[in-house]
Amino acid sequence: MSDTVSTPLGETWRRLLRNRSFVIGAVVVSLIVAVAVLAPLIAPHDPLRNNFRTRLQPPGEIFWFGTDHFGRDILSRILHGGRISLIIGASTVVVTGIFGTAIGAVAGFFRALDEPIMRLMDAIMAFPAILLAMAIAAVMGASVTNVVIALSIATTPHTARIVRGSVLVVREMEYVEAARALGASELRVLFRHVLVNVTGPLIVRLTYVFAIAILAEAALSFIGVGPPPPAPSFGNIIANGRDFMIVAPWITIFPGLAIIAVVLGLNLLGDGLRDVLDPRTRI
Amino acid sequence: MIRFLARRLAGSAVVLLLVSLLTFGLIWLVPGDPTTVLLEASATPEQVGRLRVALGLDKPLPLQMLDWYGRVLSGDLGQSILLNRSVTEALLERLPVTLSIAAISLTLAVMLGVTAGILAALFHNRWPDQIVMSTALFGLSVPDFWLGLVFVVVFALGLGWFPTGGFTPIEQGVMEWARSIALPSLALALTQMGFVARMARASMLDVLNQDFVRTADAKGLSRTYVVLRHGLPNALVPLLTVTGIIAGALLGGTVVIEQVFSIPGVGRLIIGAILSRDFPVIQGGLLFLAVVYLLVNLVVDILYAAVDPRVRLA
Amino acid sequence: MTELTRRRTLGLGAGLLASSAVAAPAIAQRRGGDAVIAITQAPPSLDAHVTSAQAARNINLHMYETLFARDENARPVPELAETVNISSDGLTYVFPLRRDVRFHNGAIMEAQDVVASIERYRQIGASANLLAAIDSVTASGSHEVTIRLKQVQSTFLDNLSSPRAPIAIYPAAEAAKPANQIAFIGTGPYRFVEYLPDRHVRLARFDGYVPNPKATGPDGFAGRKEVHLDSVLFRFMPELGARAAALEAGEVHLVETVDGPTAQRLRGNARFTIYRLLPFSMQVIKFNHALGATGDLNFRLAVMSALDMEEIMAIAFPDIYQLDGSWIYPGSPYHTAQGTERYNKPDLAAARALLGRSGYRGERLTFIVDNNRSNIDTATVVQQRVRELGVNIDISVSDWPTVSRLGFTPQGWNFWCHGFGIEPFEGPASVMAPWVGGTSMIRKDEKIDAWFAELNAAMEQSARVRIFTEFQRHMWENAVAIKAGNYGLFQAATARLRDFKPYRIPRMWGVTLDA
Repeated sequence: MSDTVSTPLGETWRRLLRNRSFVIGAVVVSLIVAVAVLAPLIAPHDPLRNNFRTRLQPPGEIFWFGTDHFGRDILSRILHGGRISLIIGASTVVVTGIFGTAIGAVAGFFRALDEPIMRLMDAIMAFPAILLAMAIAAVMGASVTNVVIALSIATTPHTARIVRGSVLVVREMEYVEAARALGASELRVLFRHVLVNVTGPLIVRLTYVFAIAILAEAALSFIGVGPPPPAPSFGNIIANGRDFMIVAPWITIFPGLAIIAVVLGLNLLGDGLRDVLDPRTRI
Repeated sequence: MIRFLARRLAGSAVVLLLVSLLTFGLIWLVPGDPTTVLLEASATPEQVGRLRVALGLDKPLPLQMLDWYGRVLSGDLGQSILLNRSVTEALLERLPVTLSIAAISLTLAVMLGVTAGILAALFHNRWPDQIVMSTALFGLSVPDFWLGLVFVVVFALGLGWFPTGGFTPIEQGVMEWARSIALPSLALALTQMGFVARMARASMLDVLNQDFVRTADAKGLSRTYVVLRHGLPNALVPLLTVTGIIAGALLGGTVVIEQVFSIPGVGRLIIGAILSRDFPVIQGGLLFLAVVYLLVNLVVDILYAAVDPRVRLA
Repeated sequence: MTELTRRRTLGLGAGLLASSAVAAPAIAQRRGGDAVIAITQAPPSLDAHVTSAQAARNINLHMYETLFARDENARPVPELAETVNISSDGLTYVFPLRRDVRFHNGAIMEAQDVVASIERYRQIGASANLLAAIDSVTASGSHEVTIRLKQVQSTFLDNLSSPRAPIAIYPAAEAAKPANQIAFIGTGPYRFVEYLPDRHVRLARFDGYVPNPKATGPDGFAGRKEVHLDSVLFRFMPELGARAAALEAGEVHLVETVDGPTAQRLRGNARFTIYRLLPFSMQVIKFNHALGATGDLNFRLAVMSALDMEEIMAIAFPDIYQLDGSWIYPGSPYHTAQGTERYNKPDLAAARALLGRSGYRGERLTFIVDNNRSNIDTATVVQQRVRELGVNIDISVSDWPTVSRLGFTPQGWNFWCHGFGIEPFEGPASVMAPWVGGTSMIRKDEKIDAWFAELNAAMEQSARVRIFTEFQRHMWENAVAIKAGNYGLFQAATARLRDFKPYRIPRMWGVTLDA
């Protein structure tokens, strides 16, 4: 009982490799992941080591990207910062993926629960994520976990909506009806048929969630509710540099460029995946 | 149409109730109260307790909730604890500020985005398309607050063309007002524009590939005529959705950008209220944002339903 | 002539400059002008009684005055009172009031206003304990107030003149209102005009103000307060970069605090004058004695021996700190190096030895800190330093309300740091008070409690100095808490602002603004 409406895996893969966005995005993201993994080996300095005698050094031979007000090397902090930002992005993807799918599937499949669940999702969407994160940080203190929680709460409703939409379409399809008629239990139908068919849009959405999470982490750190010091997440470095924007703009500029690189890579990847896996949606 | 509206309004009311309940939940969880910003670091718990009583902060939460719902239903959001005015006044004071920025960046983003998107669609897969799409993608990937910081360094500090922050009310001079919101609006618009351009291009391409446009094309009608007469109106429908989404994103975006430019808008009001535990302002401010968000989406949906009758049945 | 003066002042060090500003002869004092001051935070309240926040003090002490106020050297001197007559048993204070004092509403200040204000402060005052010794306050004449104390208190006039949450004198009608609900009417040289949240507070010169006839010049919070400006706008600008930028763009005339690098940069520019206000505060790292390792004396001593105070201060307060182990500011009669022998003797070997004798076994400890950059910097430097000993600290950043609530509870924190600014200015009793009853370290310290009671009763200054020195020694020998050093503020102003002298608040009396 083969139940996929999508193309076989091999064919999908071939089409992805022919997609320019996907290839460029994949290369950029792989490079960034490699740099993040290898950060301890390639970073020229200890990202946490402070030395007040080398504070606020402009970019130069020893410190390529300059130093911050602790005298810490910005380049090394960015290389290590990639790790934290990627961990936050990836964790948000996982959490959102699980909750978004579960909530969306339940809403889509059980008519009685649809309305209350989706209204709750609306309520969450009406809450700016930044303010939600501030409240969470005020309750539990700022931490990587709390950033992930805040971002996941903020990105789940939209994900759930996408999943619900796909479920609604699929559940009316004939072969699902047929499976139900054959006596497959509701839950089995849910998992075996429906979920398989929302994979495409979900993967695309989650790639964008990754990008959104990296941007949002930076914004949260900037407001002061990001990962606690001395963690060199991209947003923390920018936030640190803000007070020295006039005398030491390099602290602010370089991590911003790093964010752009990562997010650009992820967006390209997402575009490529969308073209192939979910051609109906276009943005 | 009326049934559709009634259903949407009922749904919105439920959402607002949920938002206010969520806010109460947060307030209940968050430690601290306004006394902490009124007192020095070395204030003892005994001094704090005294001031709590003096400010009437010692009422139990369920009682506060009852009070609050009672008043909100009669349109009163209560008094700010720290700002020396009512919550409604505080919000109305800031509304023009946030609205100026949100409206201008929304207009900029939609106008520039749609133009660029149509251009890209018309030159599908040729160089204008590629330039527009690369720029759009780039715009999507830039953190707006960082762009704001860079703008401050370059255009305010470096070139001195704009003030570094703050807000000048429009009554004090249109030029000064425009200068004070130019950089924040631009930072927001540029990051949202990419989104609009991509959407505009996609829906335009959809329309251009539809039979009636091809037929018109085949009949030898001018390309510009076809695009403007048939393409654009049809492509505008999905753009409504985008406008709704962006309006939501801008609500969040202004919160951060107001911090970057020290602009006294609604976002800054709420952030300040969270940091100082001015509970009535937090409560009223979040409810207000939710109302705006729902209102925007409602308007979008009504327009959508007006244009596309199938929606009403869904 | 003007140009020459400017050049000459530039040649001087900024510290000297601050004092020379007053000595310089006033060149045709200009009346008028609207000064704009960038301050870091909005005042949480303009009801002076209910707030002890610096941000409120900055503004409130331009609008309100007190019976006694602190002079330039923090000693209490008469302000709204003519003088004070203290009975021989030390229990009765009679304050004849000045008869020339007007409120901003035009009414003459009378004894009933003073009585009502003090009574209100005893009920709802943010530092009501300052007046805990009072038994009764009565109007003993239309312009005379008598206060009776329950017991002798050596610091009573210090308390009455405290600028912390000023015991401001309001009209009796306002003093009858609940906390935070008064109309802002005082007797100060400026009157309230408007308050726009997140933007500014505007004050205007109070034309009915009569400067204290007994005073000759500006003197701390007291003295002769002559206002030459038309108005002052206090603009709230939390962002450091934005404040500096606004000054350079000419949008503001005085910045309450700029960072070291900016101060250095502006120093070379003839358009600006840089002032150093040092010491302004002391940076203190507190321990929770009730939880885990920080309850262990050897552990606390180990941390203390590990720390390099210069590193902490240079990073957290670049170019504007002094290394000083005394728990009160230099210049105070209580200031002494005695008992501070353990201050700033970084020695990792000694620290390791102490750590070995402690009960610490590698568990993770929590350093709570608010969003203030200097406090986060302090926590970060401490964390990195003790990491070399093998001590694991997690930094937990929350906003101020959360941290300041958590930091007085026995759970959830081991370290906490923040500045103590006004306490050392006020004097020894204020420095000791936070440690009385174990409030700030969460474990009662009998010795401190006893010394505090003794200090309050000791009428001789020499006795008080001895008590405070013992307290200071105890703080260091038991590492009750660690003082990292004194820090200050760089204040920057346009060179057009004349005769400004930095103080605990940016005083806008006695200054002029050139056109």
